[in-house]
Amino acid sequence: MIEVRSVSQSYSRDKEILKEVDLVVREREITALVGANGAGKSTLLGVMTNLLPAKKGVVMLDGVDIRKIKTNEVAKKIAFLKQTQQLSIRITVKDLVEFGRFPHCGGRLRDEDREKVEEAIYYMKLEDLQESYLDEISGGQRQRAFIAMILAQDTPYIFLDEPLNNLDIKYSVEMMKIVTKLVEDLGKTIVVVLHDINFAAAYASHIVAMKDGQVIKEGSPKEVITPSVLNPVFDHDFHIVDHDGRSVCLYYDHE
Amino acid sequence: MLRRQWKRITIIVMFVFLALLSLEIGPLSDVSLSSFIYGDEVARLVFLHSRVPRTAAVILSAASLSVAGLLMQSISRNKFMSPTTAGTTDAAAFGLLISFIFLGHRSGVVQASFAFAFALLATMLFTSVINKLKIREVVYIPLIGMMYGGLIGAISAAVAFRFEAMQVMQAFNLGSFARLGNFTLVYIVLIPLFFSVLFATKFSIIGLGQDFAKNLGVNYNRVVFLGLIIVALISASTFVAVGPLPFIGLIIPNMATSFYGDNLKKSIFDLMIFGANFVLLCDIVSRLVIFPFEMNVSVTISVVGGIVFMIYLIRGMHSGKNRKAAA
Repeated sequence: MIEVRSVSQSYSRDKEILKEVDLVVREREITALVGANGAGKSTLLGVMTNLLPAKKGVVMLDGVDIRKIKTNEVAKKIAFLKQTQQLSIRITVKDLVEFGRFPHCGGRLRDEDREKVEEAIYYMKLEDLQESYLDEISGGQRQRAFIAMILAQDTPYIFLDEPLNNLDIKYSVEMMKIVTKLVEDLGKTIVVVLHDINFAAAYASHIVAMKDGQVIKEGSPKEVITPSVLNPVFDHDFHIVDHDGRSVCLYYDHE
Repeated sequence: MLRRQWKRITIIVMFVFLALLSLEIGPLSDVSLSSFIYGDEVARLVFLHSRVPRTAAVILSAASLSVAGLLMQSISRNKFMSPTTAGTTDAAAFGLLISFIFLGHRSGVVQASFAFAFALLATMLFTSVINKLKIREVVYIPLIGMMYGGLIGAISAAVAFRFEAMQVMQAFNLGSFARLGNFTLVYIVLIPLFFSVLFATKFSIIGLGQDFAKNLGVNYNRVVFLGLIIVALISASTFVAVGPLPFIGLIIPNMATSFYGDNLKKSIFDLMIFGANFVLLCDIVSRLVIFPFEMNVSVTISVVGGIVFMIYLIRGMHSGKNRKAAA
């Protein structure tokens, strides 16, 4: 279980990025963090994964202050993927997925590690690409390879920071379907920062709306995707339509 | 997989051939591998004290500098970083000069320690400043690094001039495998090479960035520091033993990458052999062009390496432009 208890974060004295945030991550569900640029979504994700240790307040991982857990132990429970990675070294898909086993075996793969790597590659349908170099495959395939690495890491919690950046619509939908499957098939708990509110509405079961470093509202898509919540969060006029029981946001200006 | 095996076999065959050829060449034309095998006394002495140490020095310095280059590229996430393009080699020279001026002729170990300390400090300074500057164009970094190296070189020259040690400095700034005596120092590189193999996976992981490393529970700063120590140790001991071998740390990892990739755990062996082959070849050429005399190997390496470096630099500038156009 991951609990955020009154966490505040600031880079300089007067500019607070997070203000007294409280949040309990819902197990075996997809939680989407939404909000305008600079709302503190990525910072909150960083604090929850201990990438940025909390300055005030505390993040509890299974009842223990996450700052007091060894990084290697955190890496066995929480996997974190940042916005589509810029690659500077040339490695194959399989190399990358094998890195996912590092917290468990320290780079010396045992038979069970090899099994996990193979499972992850198979699950993400990357068998034919496993010997290809990451710089030779498409953006969507590369994103799948990174997800495979996280699967090999075999953590109950997965945090994704804008996984749809630089992906076209087809790959974005494919990515969100994969994320949904991870929850349904493998019982993962997923927290994802999404830029496009409609992707959050369509795939998340829980949405956290943030503004100026605070959680304004959290709840099911039905509760959050309303003009009264979204208008102040994004500082914009929203029009919500119902399409087969799903809420869809129209946020284009119409005269 | 099979292709990988073949590539490996090819370079190993080349390596054996070049190593034997390197042993065969020498000003004493009646000393050859066959006379050595048949137990000729002169041949035995020549081989034991000259040719075998020389070939070993070529192989070890080339292999270790290739690894040092790849480590630097991994640490800085920049394909153009290397001991030559970050002031490391120039700082090692400065350290060697200081030890000479203040302590006089000392054992190679003392000289190497000075070179090591200077190389480590200069490289750490450069990498931390570069990280703060946040330069977008990757090709600027080696250019800035070469200027930085030039600055260190100029300070060394000024110090050498003041202490009337110009000749000494000129002598050790020429890379050559013809200096007997200090060769044993090159065996020091076996220690950093051992650690590079041991921590290979960690070095590859930090090459994917700080957040990526942290996600996998790798202590980024500690691995970077260890990497810089390895780089400085390799640069210093090879510099004291054979002098500067410019561009090796830069071009060998770049050339080897296209064949073997950058997963250090899998490719470190291929990388070392690849680098050894390149320098063995350069050394053989240097010894044959004006036979029975020889040219400094750093001249040959500079000519070939400079051209290859230019090609990569121009390619890097083009890809930088393409990336901008795409964004």
